[in-house]
Amino acid sequence: MQRVELRIPSIPIFERVVRASAAEVGSAAGFSPEQVEDLKLAVSEAVNNAIDHGNRGDVAKLVAVTFEIDGEKLEIRVSDQGGGIERIDVSRRVVDDATLDAGYLRGFGMYLISALVDDYEVDSSQQGTVLTLRLYRKDRQQ
Amino acid sequence: MSDIIRREEFGDVVVLHILTTSVDAISAAAIAAECQEMRPITVLDFSEVSFINSAGISALLKFVVSARKSGYQLFAMNVTPHHQKIFKMVEMSRYMPTIDERDLAAYR
Repeated sequence: MQRVELRIPSIPIFERVVRASAAEVGSAAGFSPEQVEDLKLAVSEAVNNAIDHGNRGDVAKLVAVTFEIDGEKLEIRVSDQGGGIERIDVSRRVVDDATLDAGYLRGFGMYLISALVDDYEVDSSQQGTVLTLRLYRKDRQQ
Repeated sequence: MSDIIRREEFGDVVVLHILTTSVDAISAAAIAAECQEMRPITVLDFSEVSFINSAGISALLKFVVSARKSGYQLFAMNVTPHHQKIFKMVEMSRYMPTIDERDLAAYR
């Protein structure tokens, strides 16, 4: 197993650092270009959630990201130092007339994550939230 | 002049060439600001864009809202297959269909 670890302050520009790392790790693990694009987007959403909703933009709090390559599996853990979250809404979120008229233009992140990775889990407590994402190389999937 | 967007206007058309590679939380505000100056036909050119996340989608939806309020037409141009997939997933393609560069020639 190979592991890459990053810690970033809760400042949005550093999400780009994690995203660039995700691209390199995904490529190194042999994922296809399309899967790497899915990986980048899922990781981006997870890190932005950790910054905005977990750490609530507190720059003193860190977001830790761990990539683990284990054969055909890539597991990514994104951890914040916030006070936990009560629930995560992963329901399908699409653009429609009602939400546009209401000016509700956000909230796609968790839906995109749930649709782009092979599986995921959320572990939240008062010590913070850990979002674990798993993707499998398609050439090895049955 | 914005270093995030380059405007190209002809007749009732404005093409907004997005110059940043990332349509994300960092570039969202500068991109969304351009929705204040749309034209009856507004085209967003994604030829330089290699990444769009949900913060970027939120910024793009501000163009959709403005277009609906004004009765303007909004199109996307040079969208990568991956981003077409994402736009379809959130059903944004219904409100911002793609247009080919050659179809714009009729307006020039």
